[in-house]
Amino acid sequence: MAEWFEKVKNDFILNFVVDNRWKNLTTGLKNTIIITIFAAIIGVLIGLIVAAIRTTYDKNKETMKKNGGIGYWLMTFFNGVCKVYLSIFRGTPIVVQLMIMYFIIFMSAKNGVIVAIISFGINSGAYVAEIFRGGIMSIDNGQFEAGRSLGFNYLQTMLYIVLPQVIKNILPTLLNEFIALLKETSVSGYVGITDLTRGGYIIRGITFSPYMPLFAIAIIYYILVMFLTYIVGIVERRLRKSER
Amino acid sequence: MSDNTLIRVRGLKKHYNDGAVRALDGIDADINKGEVVVIIGPSGSGKSTFLRSLNLLELPTSGSIIFDGEDIAAKHVNINKHRQKMGMVFQHFNLFPNMTILKNMTIAPVKLLKLPKAEAEKTALELLKRVGLEDRADAYPSQLSGGQKQRIAIVRALCMNPDVLLFDEPTSALDPEMVGEVLDVMKGLAKTGMTMVVVTHEMGFAREVGSRVIFMADGVIVEEGTPSEMFDNPKSDRLKGFLAKVL
Repeated sequence: MAEWFEKVKNDFILNFVVDNRWKNLTTGLKNTIIITIFAAIIGVLIGLIVAAIRTTYDKNKETMKKNGGIGYWLMTFFNGVCKVYLSIFRGTPIVVQLMIMYFIIFMSAKNGVIVAIISFGINSGAYVAEIFRGGIMSIDNGQFEAGRSLGFNYLQTMLYIVLPQVIKNILPTLLNEFIALLKETSVSGYVGITDLTRGGYIIRGITFSPYMPLFAIAIIYYILVMFLTYIVGIVERRLRKSER
Repeated sequence: MSDNTLIRVRGLKKHYNDGAVRALDGIDADINKGEVVVIIGPSGSGKSTFLRSLNLLELPTSGSIIFDGEDIAAKHVNINKHRQKMGMVFQHFNLFPNMTILKNMTIAPVKLLKLPKAEAEKTALELLKRVGLEDRADAYPSQLSGGQKQRIAIVRALCMNPDVLLFDEPTSALDPEMVGEVLDVMKGLAKTGMTMVVVTHEMGFAREVGSRVIFMADGVIVEEGTPSEMFDNPKSDRLKGFLAKVL
């Protein structure tokens, strides 16, 4: 037993202490967190806009068609654009999208992290859009009608009455998406970004340790996800308070 | 248009599938100030569609609805302004589940009429008192019974100080023992001179409170008159048949 501990200790020192190799992990962790946070923000913004366009179109096309004019055609156009966006970004793997972004579209970009943020953000936006849309569609139409009958316009009804209910309902699903996003960033190494996964992999390449670096990054990802779950749990409980 | 007419409906039609389904097939009706107009009829007769057309929750295919001197069924009308003056009470209450009763009642006056919060809450509490629910101001809708919810829904609409209240089968989703408390509130409201349009299956209410009864079938108005004319002396066979079934 003591022998085993000694071996683990030496392994630990070799992988993380010697030559400050732990810095590979912290650099990677920093990039992973930066990419995840900013991609999540972009994703939520895109998701909200796309969901807003699609549900507005679905719920108002009758009125807009009646009033006619450019508004109806614009909305039909944007609704179509949103559908194409969703279909493309959910229909292809994120690694492929990332590589197309990095090697073709942003060929001259020097900062891989920014390209990754854009790629993951646009990709996540497609999923978040459908989460929001599902959330909005799940609210009873009576809530819209009650809001409209009081004199709120469509946007006010959405903001004051529907969206607060939507956010409460979709929070668990949204958290799921953020967790998936965090873990998906582990493919950033494909375009040469030192994220957490690649950081561990660099150490592995130097020390040839079969276990230690991989377990280390697994544990760090796990801690990050647990932390995220904890934070959202607090928010969720606070929102649910209103129902008891 | 006489000064006494609040809503004037002419040639109102609502067709689906390019006219294959005619939910409303040419409705002419006047709603006068202070009247309680009760709309009865078999299910599928278009009475709910008619009521929901009055504040444009259903978009009419053609026809005009003159309210406040404007044809609100025409294109490019700011319907939101008019809806503030037309309260609506739904079969399924449609209270906002994430807000307290007080918030349910004050959100529209505060956001739309720009009333100070304190003033809106004062009005809301007075209204709650009128329906005997002042102690539930801080409760959430899920904590209330169906009858209580509907009473709240009525006073929520009243908070906007509307010219007319539209009731879409307000007691149809209630347990039988709760129907009375909601009808009592509506009766009280009628006594204050509130203009009301009520779609209901409660014939007792129609007879007792209605100033005029409209009988609809197949998307048209078949017969209309005072409650005693309609219930004691129906003229059309459709109405006679309908009353024989429901009374």
